[in-house]
Amino acid sequence: MTGQRKHVRFAIGGLLILGALVYLVYSGMQGTMVYYLTVSELKAKATDDSLYQKGLRISGKVVGNSIEWEPKSRELKFQIAEGATVLPVYYRGTRPDMFKDGADVVVEGKYTQEGTFLATTLLTSCPSKYEPADGKGSSSAASSPSPSDT
Amino acid sequence: MTETGRISLILALIVAAYAAIAAGYGGTEKKRNVIASGENAVYAVWALLTIASLGLIYAFLTRDFQVEYVFNYSSRSLPFFYSLSAFWAGQEGSLLLWAWLLASFSGLVLIQNRHQNREVIPYATSILMLVLLFFLVLLVFITDPFARTPNRPPDGRGLNPLLQNPGMIFHPPTLFLGYVGFTIPFAFALAALVTGQLGDVWIRSTRRWTLFSWFTLGIGVLLGAQWAYVELGWGGYWAWDPVENASLMPWLVGTAFLHSVMLQEKRDMLKVWNMVLIILTFGLCIFGTFITRSGLISSVHSFGESSVGSFFLGFLILLLGLSFLLLFSRLDALKSTNRLDSVLSRECSFLLNNLILLGAAFSVFWGTMFPIISEAIKGVKITMGPSFFNQVNVPIGLTLLAITGICPLIAWRKASSRNLQKNFLVPLLASGVGGVFLMVLGIRHFYAWLSFTISLFVIVTITMEFYQGTRARCRLTGESAFRAFLTMIGRNRRRYGGYIVHIGMVFIFVGITGSSAYKVEKEVTLSQGQSFQIQDYTLQFESLQSESDSHREVVTALFSVRNDGEKIGLLKTQKRFYRAPEQVTTEVAIRSNLKEDLYAILEGYDRDGNATFKFFVNPLLSWMWIGGGVITLGALISFWPERRRRKGQE
Repeated sequence: MTGQRKHVRFAIGGLLILGALVYLVYSGMQGTMVYYLTVSELKAKATDDSLYQKGLRISGKVVGNSIEWEPKSRELKFQIAEGATVLPVYYRGTRPDMFKDGADVVVEGKYTQEGTFLATTLLTSCPSKYEPADGKGSSSAASSPSPSDT
Repeated sequence: MTETGRISLILALIVAAYAAIAAGYGGTEKKRNVIASGENAVYAVWALLTIASLGLIYAFLTRDFQVEYVFNYSSRSLPFFYSLSAFWAGQEGSLLLWAWLLASFSGLVLIQNRHQNREVIPYATSILMLVLLFFLVLLVFITDPFARTPNRPPDGRGLNPLLQNPGMIFHPPTLFLGYVGFTIPFAFALAALVTGQLGDVWIRSTRRWTLFSWFTLGIGVLLGAQWAYVELGWGGYWAWDPVENASLMPWLVGTAFLHSVMLQEKRDMLKVWNMVLIILTFGLCIFGTFITRSGLISSVHSFGESSVGSFFLGFLILLLGLSFLLLFSRLDALKSTNRLDSVLSRECSFLLNNLILLGAAFSVFWGTMFPIISEAIKGVKITMGPSFFNQVNVPIGLTLLAITGICPLIAWRKASSRNLQKNFLVPLLASGVGGVFLMVLGIRHFYAWLSFTISLFVIVTITMEFYQGTRARCRLTGESAFRAFLTMIGRNRRRYGGYIVHIGMVFIFVGITGSSAYKVEKEVTLSQGQSFQIQDYTLQFESLQSESDSHREVVTALFSVRNDGEKIGLLKTQKRFYRAPEQVTTEVAIRSNLKEDLYAILEGYDRDGNATFKFFVNPLLSWMWIGGGVITLGALISFWPERRRRKGQE
């Protein structure tokens, strides 16, 4: 095989592999994209219809005294807030260890037209110990599951 | 003592700067005494950093809570070993560990190269010291491990209970060994570019460093997964969390580099590519450290937003920029002599190995960085969860597995059809039969079936390599099979060590496949005395008891476990309520054997003594850890020096 033909063959092979990779990544993205919003950003977009189809991830602080936990049916209802904006959340599943009033939480799921957030995943983290100089210390000194990492 | 520590750091900074300049200048002007002075300075830096590190250890062991770092990560009641491992519990100590390791490795490199590589060493030394300088600047000016508070608190905050676990003693340092280790081949690569010594000397000189770094980084990642499995207790071992990904990416590219340099050594190919790979690998090591240090991507693991992050980013950009510039300027000198002859060749399988590993690294990078990219472009952070990573990496991983089997079978340059028939027949037949057998057994999940079948293919391939090699040697020397086997491995450590590492990787694939595709999960609320069935296990909830002491309350749920009716033991899962600082952790119960893991999590309980549990049966999961052990064996064999070492080589 001449050098030219060989090079073309290899180039095509390389492009095919690249194409396969791009396709894999692209198709992997469909259906797994989750939009990260704050509570206020969510409320601001409430008029956008496509919002209700998307996977959403909202972060906020658990509002004091808003936690309602029903152990038998494992239903958790609470509110998260960012400043003055409040969002009611409904979650079925385990109540996480660090979940309490004032905790920073990240909820993932869907937003309903009625204004409740249906969470499928609930992640809690206590205000971290490892805050920089200016944001020093919050009431809880404990930190979220974080390995002392590199 | 902390005064001594801080002064040592400042002195180390000055001396390291001197070392970098002296080595660089001495190398350029060919002044041997200046180079020697620079090298001595390296040893001095090591001594100073050792003093600083000992100072920090001393502060921990003497419970000097006036040192902020000691206050934040230890307490009076903290056991001895954790008081030591608290050294790397936070940012300042981790950076000091990085710096000390880099100084140690630099000194070691100098000793190794006393009588060789004399042209390249001054530049390599200079580069190593420049990297070290970055960390020292951080330690001296930004994150001082020895910072003190005006008053001495009576007790420290204590170490996060999640970190009080043997896994956490080893996972961070092991990762660091890998990260720091890759600095060595990187420095040699750049030094080779500077001096124009662009043969494979730089590769051969740093082969063991590359192997060592690849191995420790890989084991570090595995240890992290094991820690997550055992300690974080959500039933799995890998969540594609940004910090997990941060350590995986350099390992993937490092694996590509490890293989690719073999091609340069054997066939003098891919010279430019190898340069690119080591720059990328080291860059990803720094990048990995950067992701962890900054609050860039919100992750369960982050240390919170920190200015250190922007320093890392700046350093990374500088590093990559200068390295690629240097590479670009030397492109003509890096022409390889050989080219790829055929698609059906071992060279090609190596190339595919590289492309696939880089493809995987890219997809992990894309998924991890997408929130940043989307925020920059669209103004909204979009994340992609584990399903993205799994969907993309499973096909990639399986292709890689297949190539692992194909590579030893296929000939160099161009495989003839005779060669193909001769070598591939038995493995293909065996895995074909095996595949059918698996289907008969009921393995219908497509990817799982594919994974097991390809794994079988690889195992057969490698077994045949060992068999044929031993048989050939037996015929040649008349030795017994056992002796021939051992001598064969001893004479060819890189090759057979590599094969053993591949076997270990197959085990890991098997473990991942079994525990992912055939995982069984059940959540249930039980009252005391009640029994519950999952797979072949019958679990009886025996009791729920509470125990209190000064620093925590522990609630334990006890189960008796029967398998197929036969009593096999007890299972204990707990919730621990720590008082100061206030925190709750869950201790899971795991019963492992070769077939599967039985995993129990106490999720909650009420006043009546009823409790909610989550149970998992994770098939074949132990094979992941066994695979880690096999990889260790293989890496050790590959690493072990030959008895007779010619000077100037390796």
